Amino acid sequence: MARTKGYPEALEKKLADTRLYEDERHPEFTKTVEKISMTIPHMCYQCGTCTASCPSAPRSSYRIRKFVRRGLLGLEDEALTDPDLWLCTTCYSCTDRCPRDIAPTDVIMAMRNLAFKRDIIPVNFLKTVQAIYTTGHGVPNNDVNRAARKKLGLPADPPTTHGFPKYVKGIQYILDYFELKKNADRIVKEREG
Amino acid sequence: MAEKKTKKEPAAKKETKKAAAKAAAPATAAPAASPEKALGKDARVGVYICHCGTNIAGSVDIPAVQEYVKTLPNVAHVDNYQYMCSTPGQKKIEDDIKEHKLTGIVVAACSPRLHEPTFRTATKTGGLNPFRFEMANIREQGSWVHMHDREGATSKAKDAIRIAVAKASLLQDLVPKSVPVEKAAMVVGAGVAGMQAALDLANAGIKTYLIEKNPTIGGRMSQLDKTFPTLDCSQCILTPKMVDVGRNPNIELMTYAEVAEVEGYIGNFDVTIRRKARGVLTPAEAEAKGIVGGGCNGCGDCDAVCPVIKPNPFEMGMKPRKAIYIYHPQVVPLIYTVDFDSCVKCGLCVEACGDKKAIDLEMKDELVKVKVGTAVLALGYEMFPIEKKEEWGYKKYENVVNSLEFERLICASGPTGGHLVRPSDGKTPMKVAFLLCAGSRDNTGVGKPYCSRFCCMYSLKHAHQIIEKIPGCQPYLFYMDIRSFGKMYEEFYYRIQDEGAKFMRGRVANVLEDPVTKNLIINAEDTLLNRPINLEVDMVVLAAAVQPSEDTDRTRKLFGVSKSMDGWLLEAHPKLNPCGTTTAGVFLAGVCQGPKDIPDTVASAEGAASAASIPIHMGEVELEPYFAQCIEEKCAGCGMCVNLCPYQALSLVEKDGRKVMQVTEAKCKGCGTCGGFCPGGAIWMQHFATPQIVAQIDAFLLGGEQ
Repeated sequence: MARTKGYPEALEKKLADTRLYEDERHPEFTKTVEKISMTIPHMCYQCGTCTASCPSAPRSSYRIRKFVRRGLLGLEDEALTDPDLWLCTTCYSCTDRCPRDIAPTDVIMAMRNLAFKRDIIPVNFLKTVQAIYTTGHGVPNNDVNRAARKKLGLPADPPTTHGFPKYVKGIQYILDYFELKKNADRIVKEREG
Repeated sequence: MAEKKTKKEPAAKKETKKAAAKAAAPATAAPAASPEKALGKDARVGVYICHCGTNIAGSVDIPAVQEYVKTLPNVAHVDNYQYMCSTPGQKKIEDDIKEHKLTGIVVAACSPRLHEPTFRTATKTGGLNPFRFEMANIREQGSWVHMHDREGATSKAKDAIRIAVAKASLLQDLVPKSVPVEKAAMVVGAGVAGMQAALDLANAGIKTYLIEKNPTIGGRMSQLDKTFPTLDCSQCILTPKMVDVGRNPNIELMTYAEVAEVEGYIGNFDVTIRRKARGVLTPAEAEAKGIVGGGCNGCGDCDAVCPVIKPNPFEMGMKPRKAIYIYHPQVVPLIYTVDFDSCVKCGLCVEACGDKKAIDLEMKDELVKVKVGTAVLALGYEMFPIEKKEEWGYKKYENVVNSLEFERLICASGPTGGHLVRPSDGKTPMKVAFLLCAGSRDNTGVGKPYCSRFCCMYSLKHAHQIIEKIPGCQPYLFYMDIRSFGKMYEEFYYRIQDEGAKFMRGRVANVLEDPVTKNLIINAEDTLLNRPINLEVDMVVLAAAVQPSEDTDRTRKLFGVSKSMDGWLLEAHPKLNPCGTTTAGVFLAGVCQGPKDIPDTVASAEGAASAASIPIHMGEVELEPYFAQCIEEKCAGCGMCVNLCPYQALSLVEKDGRKVMQVTEAKCKGCGTCGGFCPGGAIWMQHFATPQIVAQIDAFLLGGEQ
């Protein structure tokens, strides 16, 4: 026991029961994910082409193949509570190459939707929502960019909501309609006080 | 206006229905105009309802159906039984025909494809004409598809039986037609399947024409270096067979030839073969032309002087050949071939050939007609153009090759003398990655959805070969599943793993090239470790999918053979008749029916040869008597049907001073095209005659009240 002294938590984790229990599986989760994503994770044969195509995988613990597998098995809690869910860059390389013609990216997007419904979402995503609400951009223009654009002979602000701020209202209407902003504000407040 | 029309329609429909029923009634009652006697007079139909264990009885209320059938017109006897196809079941039919003086039999059971022959025989044994039998399918089209709807399945069974009884009441005696079978067979394609089929047919005493589009026989197998799992040299076990084919007196070998036209039917196929201009005379051909001791002896003097250089397709383009060439030294027949697409007709070869006078640069294609009783198609396969899956870089990166190119590179008689080298710099690779399922098991629409079935095994063999030939060379096999299902195959897998091949369970996402070293970087996931891999290798071998060979579609259409969804030729039954086709007398051998390794290919070829020899040994075949018949008094001799017939079975003839249509019964397939079209109603489709079909429709629409 002396050897593990000082690492009680790690030891507890190592000795945890990792078996897959039937009651973890929710077949309706598979169906919901398929309905939202309009793709077919239940046809996955686990070849790993998606993970191998993924620009996030070599630099993180994110494994898209695992999420598709969880979708197939209906492991709702395991999928939605895994923070890796938010590491997809939505580059769609996996979707391009999947030999079973599944769109793994869309599976991830569907799972993110479902996670958000349960308030499971990193704060930085919510801040992005707030940024879009106020500026119309997830990554708003800044002084560095403005200088660079001028140097290239472009107007300082692009012809988007930055150039035409009156259209921000339209974006705000959409975000309000789906209560995205309201929920984002609420969750940020809960987390950050 | 439109509104009025729609309102009136239902009433109008009813009227026409009644009118049709009335019109049909006299036709059935007085078929005086038909070539046959009165139909349906004093019909007495016996109906038998099969339980098929619980297959039918589980979802169809048999007693209710039986009570219902008793109320149908013309039904003289009804019975039911656990298994009608059993001996006691058949005995019921045989006994009842005599006891109840039945004129027609209906069995409500499974699909006619399964047991129609059984019950026809029972009907015949009972003393009735076998074509007095009609089957009602209440299993495949009833109980099985409506398993959870007892009421619906029962009601559908009643409908099906009512319709069958209506037809059985009007069935006629028919006599199958026997036609003699030509005592010769044809095999198209001389790979290992075609050669085996031809040898079996020839050894059974049948004259066999073996047609091959390439200048030599041998096919894909002759391109392989070794064969799994025994590792015997492919050429060593194949060339004796090639020689046997060349020498067998019953085999007439036609290489550099293709089927141009097929006419006729089982027993009597007239096949036109195009013998492509080869530019070279065989000794026999030379002798026929009066050139004594002349003709090609394969000396190769012409090859030496020919100035035109082209890639050799046998070596996958990796070795040159001349415009006058042989594929490799062991070709059968050993006759050179002129490639007229690249020949400049300089005449140097003619000079070099000298007195043998074997070369004729003005040779033209020749059409030869032969008559055969049966045909075996052994059309083979080709590699899927794997460059279509762009992510693996085939044809983009020099050191990415497909597995057939690898076979030539590792083969002692290949372009490198069996020294495996990288195409980019000729160096020996020390790390080789094999990508399995390249283009197979692919549902994207680019690749093939099926498993190509032999790539796992040959990739294991490739791994063995490089371990054996190049000390220290490391093979990596990127796989999804290793499918080593054959005899001694799993043991072979064990052996190769023991020899040191590394198996990585993950499909390769993409291959990149280092532009300087021309090494290849493989991106995959080790799905068992759950970690992405970056692996730099010297060479990549793609175990590409296989697809039907280029000419398959053209040839299959000539023989009237269908293809299945995946493009391979369609067998008559995937389990019980894998060598037959839906065209009587045409059989399939080898990969053209679906991917097969060599043992399966040879087995399939022997099966096809055996099946193709049966009609020939029987001497005659019975054709189902579903022929069109001309009702001559109604025929106006317009001849429009003659051009419509897809089988050239119809013709116009003079009879009693006027033209009438005549059917060549052996050619008629009973498709009904002419019968449906004839403006005068002068064509009688035996077993599917208009009154019979009208009665079936009436029985369905009018619910039995005729």
